[in-house]
Amino acid sequence: MGAFLTAGPLSAVDGEGRLLFEDVNIELAESELAVLDGPSGSGKSTLLRQLVGLKPTEGAARELAGEPFTGTQLPAWRARVTLAAQDAPMLAATVGENLRFPFTQQCGGGRSPDEARLRDLVAAVGLEAIPEDRDAGTLSGGERHRLALVRGLLWNPPVLVADEPLSGLDEETAAICFDLLLDFAHRLGHAVLCVLHDRALADRADRHIAVVEDRP
Amino acid sequence: MSPVIHLGWAELAVATVLVVAAGAISLVLRLGIERRLGLAALRTVVQLGLLGLVLEKVFALRSPVLIVGILLLMTVFAAREASVRTSKRYRGIMVDAWLAMAVSCFAVGAVVTQLVVGVEPWYDPQYVIPIVGMILGNSLTGIALGLDRFLDHLVSRRHEVELRLAFGASRREALSEPLRVSVRTGMVPIVNAMAAAGIVSLPGMMTGQILAGAPPLQAVAYQIVVMFMIAAAVAGGAMLVVLLAGRHFMGADAVLRLDRLRTAK
Repeated sequence: MGAFLTAGPLSAVDGEGRLLFEDVNIELAESELAVLDGPSGSGKSTLLRQLVGLKPTEGAARELAGEPFTGTQLPAWRARVTLAAQDAPMLAATVGENLRFPFTQQCGGGRSPDEARLRDLVAAVGLEAIPEDRDAGTLSGGERHRLALVRGLLWNPPVLVADEPLSGLDEETAAICFDLLLDFAHRLGHAVLCVLHDRALADRADRHIAVVEDRP
Repeated sequence: MSPVIHLGWAELAVATVLVVAAGAISLVLRLGIERRLGLAALRTVVQLGLLGLVLEKVFALRSPVLIVGILLLMTVFAAREASVRTSKRYRGIMVDAWLAMAVSCFAVGAVVTQLVVGVEPWYDPQYVIPIVGMILGNSLTGIALGLDRFLDHLVSRRHEVELRLAFGASRREALSEPLRVSVRTGMVPIVNAMAAAGIVSLPGMMTGQILAGAPPLQAVAYQIVVMFMIAAAVAGGAMLVVLLAGRHFMGADAVLRLDRLRTAK
């Protein structure tokens, strides 16, 4: 059997037109947590955004569990290969709406969030004291990142792509959140790809993918 | 009803005394604005005079093709005006603005001239041109406001738009919030004008009709029609222009393409 997820070739240039990376192919195995490494400014976020199809890619093919996804199927692809973006963006809405909005979209297919799982996740990351009707705009950076992680896990996509999901968290909380990600990745029919700054945690990943400097 | 009082050369000459008085005040107080005032007064006379001559010719037209052509030309000018009022632009903004204004204003104009007023023949320029002109002129502000707000929303709230996309939103779902916000913004001026009509302001058209000798209730009836038609044209035009603009920034693959945006100088 081939890879669980394949996407590529992906190429990008930075704002000044310099090449960031060229013809990159990404493969993920089922039930693995892979960490994307590389120096800052090497285009890791850009690569993740291209992988999930939020940034234009030319001629890239995407396949999940043997099923190809072409241009007009990108929304369906993103519902399955879901990005928890850098800086944990939130809708200008309540905490509860932020957790549940994906289920109200067409791609939710009438699914409803698993309330028991929601309670467990919120408690695990230490957000149980925050009422669901609180305005998400009033959360601290750390709270926002934990909320974004809970949202991603609750949505339960086959592949969760997380761009620095643990930034702004203290060591202990970061470790708990990383365990949640690892747990999620190791289940059947799942995989996780993330960018992490914490070396100690990143060392616990199943595999490392490196964006290497290849400039003269 | 009293007959309409005719204004001739002598009456206009008397009115000129008023603007000369304004110039005298400028001289006495050393406002230094008398030259510009004089020039502006001259332009008023020349421009309105030309318009009057053109309208006399236009109102004498009996060719539906020519009249529709004039209406189309009016929509082009209105679209140009609307598309330069936004702080952000994109390739094709003018075409989108034109299409939105033409469709909404012609649709509303058709309802008003044919069903409400019942113009005979259907293209009678004395009714069709002022009515469509009024719809265009007044809906222009709302359409420009809506479009400006939409482009601004895509930039300032891009993270929210992309957050929805990241969780599998379709193009329609990702753009529905920007669309609602923009159309609402575009409608604020006409809603305010409708709410204040007759209390805070005496609408210009109504005043004109009353001066021209129309019974006040008739003038009121026309003014109500005008307010309603502008509301419809703004709602339809703003919605349409935002839908068209949305297609520029998001294709069927639902990728937000802000690289297609240009900031106006």
